[in-house]
Order: sequence, then structure tokens, then C-alpha cells
Amino acid sequence: MIIKDLNQHPSNSEGNKLALANLIKNTFPTRKEEIWKYTPLKKLKKINFHNQEHFETKDLESFNLPNLDGIIIVFENGRYNSKLSKIIDSDEIDVSFSSNTFPGNNFSTIKQNNYFTSLNSSFLIDSVMINVNSNTRISKNLNFINIVSSNNCLSNTKFSIVLSANSNINVRQYFLGNSNAVNGFINHENNIYLNDSSFLTVNKFQELNNNFNFCNEFITQKNDSQFIMNTFSCSGIIVRNDIVSDVNGENCHTELNGVFSPTKNEHIDNHTTINHLVPNCKSFENYKGVLKENGVGVFNGKVIVHQDAQKIEAFQKNNNILLDDDSIIYSKPELEIYADDVKCSHGSTTGQFDQEALFYLRSRGLSIKKSLELMTLGFINEVIQKSNNLEYVDFVLKRLLKS
Amino acid sequence: MSDTLIEIKDLKCRIDNQNILQGLNLKINKGEVHAIMGPNGSGKSTLSSVLAGNDNYEITKGSIIFLGEDITEMSPEERSWKGMFLAFQYPVEIPGVSNINFLRTALNERNKYFGIDSIPAKDFLKMVAEKSMLVGLDNKLKNRSVNEGFSGGEKKRNEIFQMAMLNPKLAILDETDSGLDIDALKIVANGVNKLKSSENATVVITHYQRLLDYIIPDFVHVLHEGKIIKTGDKSLAFELEKKGYDWLKTDAVI
Repeated sequence: MIIKDLNQHPSNSEGNKLALANLIKNTFPTRKEEIWKYTPLKKLKKINFHNQEHFETKDLESFNLPNLDGIIIVFENGRYNSKLSKIIDSDEIDVSFSSNTFPGNNFSTIKQNNYFTSLNSSFLIDSVMINVNSNTRISKNLNFINIVSSNNCLSNTKFSIVLSANSNINVRQYFLGNSNAVNGFINHENNIYLNDSSFLTVNKFQELNNNFNFCNEFITQKNDSQFIMNTFSCSGIIVRNDIVSDVNGENCHTELNGVFSPTKNEHIDNHTTINHLVPNCKSFENYKGVLKENGVGVFNGKVIVHQDAQKIEAFQKNNNILLDDDSIIYSKPELEIYADDVKCSHGSTTGQFDQEALFYLRSRGLSIKKSLELMTLGFINEVIQKSNNLEYVDFVLKRLLKS
Repeated sequence: MSDTLIEIKDLKCRIDNQNILQGLNLKINKGEVHAIMGPNGSGKSTLSSVLAGNDNYEITKGSIIFLGEDITEMSPEERSWKGMFLAFQYPVEIPGVSNINFLRTALNERNKYFGIDSIPAKDFLKMVAEKSMLVGLDNKLKNRSVNEGFSGGEKKRNEIFQMAMLNPKLAILDETDSGLDIDALKIVANGVNKLKSSENATVVITHYQRLLDYIIPDFVHVLHEGKIIKTGDKSLAFELEKKGYDWLKTDAVI
């Protein structure tokens, strides 16, 4: 990866410099590393990146996003775009543009050894930090919209959120590649901290078109909290999600769901790790892949039940449908259990649609295209519905089916 | 226009190099009910699959003229739009797809083919309420995934419900009586009878005479080794019930 005019890069804080020193120690990942085994980064490596200072997006209309009536935070080409954002002052929620006060440092080793989080820290300029105050329930969605709109733009962004005790919020994140932009790269980091009895749902939507998007996501959960993340990945040259969740409080509920639908040589990779560090928690994972036209998908989900984390219930599922003979899925569910009183299961299936079912639908007057669309809908419906909002479900379905 | 709905001429077909239909002739006019009977493996289900357009079967000879047009090369969906309907012997389960959504899509696809606007939600729901009464389909089943977790009887009722919604010109019922108890059989047959008109026709494929007590055929055909070897009226079905098929097979050789 080549970054042009490094000297003139506007990021020059002490933090950036430290991270840069660290970045230089990390080598660019290759397929020799287990976690990159199924995702070659050649396409990313050969790009000459630059920093794009200006904004191209005039308004958000063209993205057709559902219901934007809550707080809107827009990042474009790595910078905070205040013109398109809408910050609503309230006693319940604080929005600031520095993440220095983020609690806990349980992920610092992982971050230091990760090429892309180091890259992020080295060149990060703007970031956003959300604090949800205790005993609040935010009824409107918080929208975080991250756009890349310029060719070859390296865009490092960071979103941090801390839920105070007994708070509740829904976040919608959009990672969007402007359809005119090519070879842009959103290298994003999510830091999420749930204090006791807080509830967070993140619906994450990725439609990068001809751009790249990596998300490194770090979640910490304290007692009695509930975290749900639904990741809907429609398109992108390479899209990679790395979720690491430390469940560090008892009676927690953790749910990671996703649908990914790569087509036309796109590559979508979901890596998840759930660390059950303490007893009496439940976690659920459900990822569905729909692949066609040389699309490549990766699912690698890992659940680790640490020693003494008894009475854990962890379920992990990955189902994939290949719509033609040219697409590829790599599925690797993993369980590591070091406690002896747990209930865990994992499973993976990959198949094609039943020809008999296709004939049945066609004999009732559905074209091949409509029949496949309906069967795909049936296949992913279970996961899409988890976003729990009709308008959003419609939006995601349309974009995932590319209809 | 003539009264002929469909005319099958010298139809031969095969699957996996095995010849199934071996020169089948059949003509069906509007307003008629035909029953097709025959021993296992005689080609009854193949005939229904081929008529509906299942491309697992290769047609090697002959023609199928449906409403004046040869449909042997036509896709299953286009046949459906033109008025063909096959009630499956084993209706397929389609998880995650609601019955209602599926039927609405089916009707709208047909409308699109004929250049008609989509059916308004209100009219559609009214139609659903009306047609489901016909076969006493439980309200819950309409909203559930297509055939998923339905009992054998519910699946067959659902087939007739779909038939009522699509209002076909030619309905082929492939062993619709199999797996039905007497009460369900009456309900299903009653539904079929109510859908009968002077403009459409029904083909009933069955093993047993019993169904024909409720759906009275104008013609009964016996299929054997891919050909119709005997045609009669409804009394032929009683004769078959009593004597089996062997006497016919012998006749055929002579």
C-alpha cells in the first residue's frame, strides 16, 4: 500500500506518531496468516492512496436511506462533514469529536498487533464519541453515515459509544461507496462499551460498490447488558468485518447476525470472536451468505468459553446458498471451550436451491428471476427481521437482492 | 374458437435415457373432466410434469397443443400464465416465504405478462378470503410459509386454494387424493367441483375409484407403459376397482 505525500498528512498528533511507529513494525498481512487465509489483499495492496480533503456529497437523498429523523453523524472521505450532519442537543446523549475518554483498554494488544487498526490510529483525523447517559431510553435511531466519495481515498474513521448503566439506544451505521468513486477505502474502527443493564442494537449496512471497507470492532459488555449487531453487507471490492466481543459481565445477551451477498468478483469476509470470560451468559450468531457470479464469501466465527465461565449457552450458525457454480464460500465455525458446564453448538451448511422448489414456483407463474428472489428472501428473512423495523427491513431487502 | 382446450399428439418423452411416455394421444375439450388411471410406473405423474413444463423430461416426439399453440418448448411460468395448473402430488415446502406473498407475486407476474396493473391489496385480500373458504383453509395457514409444517391434508387443500386463486383453464390434479382422509377428500373434491365451468377442464390422476365418486369424470383413461390403452366412461373406473389392471394389459397385447 502506498500513501502519497505522507509528510503532508494532516494527522500529526503524538498519538498518530506513536501509532505510525507501531504500524511500521506490523507487516502488511498475507494469506500465510491464518486470519487472512481466505482473503487475499492484493487488490488493496497495489493501490496508491491519498488523502482527500474536500467533500463531494451535496445531500443524502441519493442514498435512499430509511427514516433519518434522529441524530445524524456524517463522515466523508475520513473527515467529519458537519454540513450533512444533524446533532440534536439533549440531556440524554453527548456527542463529541474526541475519543480520549473511552473506558477500558482490554483490546490494546490486539490493536497494536493489527495492521489495519494501527493504520487507522496512524492517520486518524476525526473521530466521534457518543455517551448515552444512565437511565435513558433513546427512542430515535442514531445514524452514523460513513461515505467514501473520492477515488483512491484512504479514509480512517472511528466511532466510539459508551452506554451508561441502564441506558438503551439503537444505532444505524451506513458504510457507503459513492457509485462514482473507485478504489476508495474506509478503514473503520468501532469501540463499544456497555455498562450494567444497558441495551444496544447496531444495524450495520455496507454498500461500498467499487470501494473497500474494513471494520475492526471491539465490544465490552458488563453485567446484565444486551448487545445485538446485525451486519448487512451488499457490495464492495473487499469488505471485511472483524468483531471481537469481550463478555465481561454476568447475565449478558450477545447476538451477532449478518447477511452478505457478494456478486461479480466481490469479496465479503466476516470474522467474529466472542470471548465468554464470566459465567451465566448467552450468545447467538446467525450469518447467511447468498453468493453468485464469482462472488466470494468468508465466515469465520469463533466462540471462546474461558475457564470458569460456567453455564454459558452459545449457539453459532452459518448457512450459505450458492446461486451458481462460480461462487465460493469459506465457512469456518469454531468453538473453544475451557469450562465444563456449558451448552454450545455450531453448524454450517452450504447448498443450492432445490430444483423441485424452483419448478413448483415457476409452475405457479413466477419467472426464474422472481422465484430465486422469493427463495432468497425466504432464506435470509429470519436474519433481516432481526432489525425489527418494517421500513428498514424493506430497505435492506431491496438493496441486498439488488432488485 | 373451437372447444378443444388441449390436444396431445403422439407424445414421447424420456428421462435419464429411459423412455416413459411412448406415443400418448389425448384430446380434452372445455367443460370436460378426464380421469387418468393406471398401475404404478405407467407414466401418470410424468404426463402431469411434462404438461406443466418440467424440463427434467426430454420430449423426443409429438406435440402438445394448448389453446391452439404448441407449448412443448414453453417455460413452466408461461404455461401457467396461459392457464395451465398442476396440483402437485408432493407439494414443495418453501421455508421463509409466506403463502400470501407467494400468491400475490404469482398473480402480479401474470398480470405483468398480460400488461395489466398489479392487483390492489384490498382486492387481493378479499379474493383470498373468498377462495380460502372454498377449501376451508385455516387462516393461520395462509400467512405461514408455503407448505412448511403443513399436514398432508393441509398441503393438498393449499394446492386447491392456489388453484382457486389462479383460476386456470386446465387443472391437472396429480394424486390429490393420496394422503387424504374421507372428510378432507370431500372438502377438496367439493372445492374442485365448485371451480368447474364450461370454459375450463380438469384432469384427475388417481389410483383409486373413490375420488371419482366425488369428482365425476366424463372420461376415464387407462395409462399403461406410456400409452393410453383404454378409454371409457365412469363405469370403467368401477370395473378397474374390481378387476385391477391385468386384464387390460392382456387385451393390449392382442
